Amino acid sequence: MAEIKPPSDAAMAVAASSLRAQQLRMRIIAENIANADSTASTPGGDPYRKQTPVFATKVLPGNIKGVAISRVEIDQTPFRQEYDPGNPAAGTNGYVKMPNIEPMVETLDMREAQRSYDASISVIETARSMDQRTLDLIKR
Amino acid sequence: MDVQGIPLFSMLQSKLGYLAERQKLIAQNVANASTPGFTPQDLKPFESQPGVDKRANAGVMAQVATTDSGATISGAGRRREEKPQVFQAMDAPDSEATLDGNQVVLEEQMLKMSEARADYDAAIGFYQKAMNMLHMAVHKPGT
Repeated sequence: MAEIKPPSDAAMAVAASSLRAQQLRMRIIAENIANADSTASTPGGDPYRKQTPVFATKVLPGNIKGVAISRVEIDQTPFRQEYDPGNPAAGTNGYVKMPNIEPMVETLDMREAQRSYDASISVIETARSMDQRTLDLIKR
Repeated sequence: MDVQGIPLFSMLQSKLGYLAERQKLIAQNVANASTPGFTPQDLKPFESQPGVDKRANAGVMAQVATTDSGATISGAGRRREEKPQVFQAMDAPDSEATLDGNQVVLEEQMLKMSEARADYDAAIGFYQKAMNMLHMAVHKPGT
């Protein structure tokens, strides 16, 4: 017997995949912000590098296009240099390499993640209320 | 009895299916709002869908005429075969594209979503009214 599924299931599955992806994006942003001052553990070594999530369409069962973070890229922009000879991570020239993280960019990314998350939540709410309207037909 | 034999009901049913499908596409667009190179999709207008009966509107009128004249109503029953309707989608890029080639604008998708929802509510309301009408017709007056 064929399985009977409400059509809104597909919409909800897509929205759920988006929620998961945005959660992971938030985690990566949190890691970036937390490590904005993480210098190297060896003198003159490389500090923390910014991570960037890469989104890609992920085909879910039923040929619906969900989303997933396919990989996390390491940002190769050059590090900031700070003159601080007393720092244990300072190189021979007295400069410390600081992570290539712009707190402003991270904050904006976070806002964008939040906005996408909100949008997916309202997709779920709409799909649910459409289902509810259909079910209400049985009530009377 | 099969209410799908009544053109109004079969039309509303395919409209509801259309709107649910559209909702799915909008969900995909919203989910892929950050996917590089993604082009949003939308369904072609309801009137231009291949499965949608062009005579649907005319059919309602014609049906009234035939029942009035006492002719058979079985003709309507076999008009729509029992098969799931497939709706045609098309690329529907929003007004802006980002540098990574993504063409989704969340605000526009939200607008489309509430539009689909309002249409769905309207169709359900219509369905309900039509059902009430049938109900009224088959029940004894005064009950």
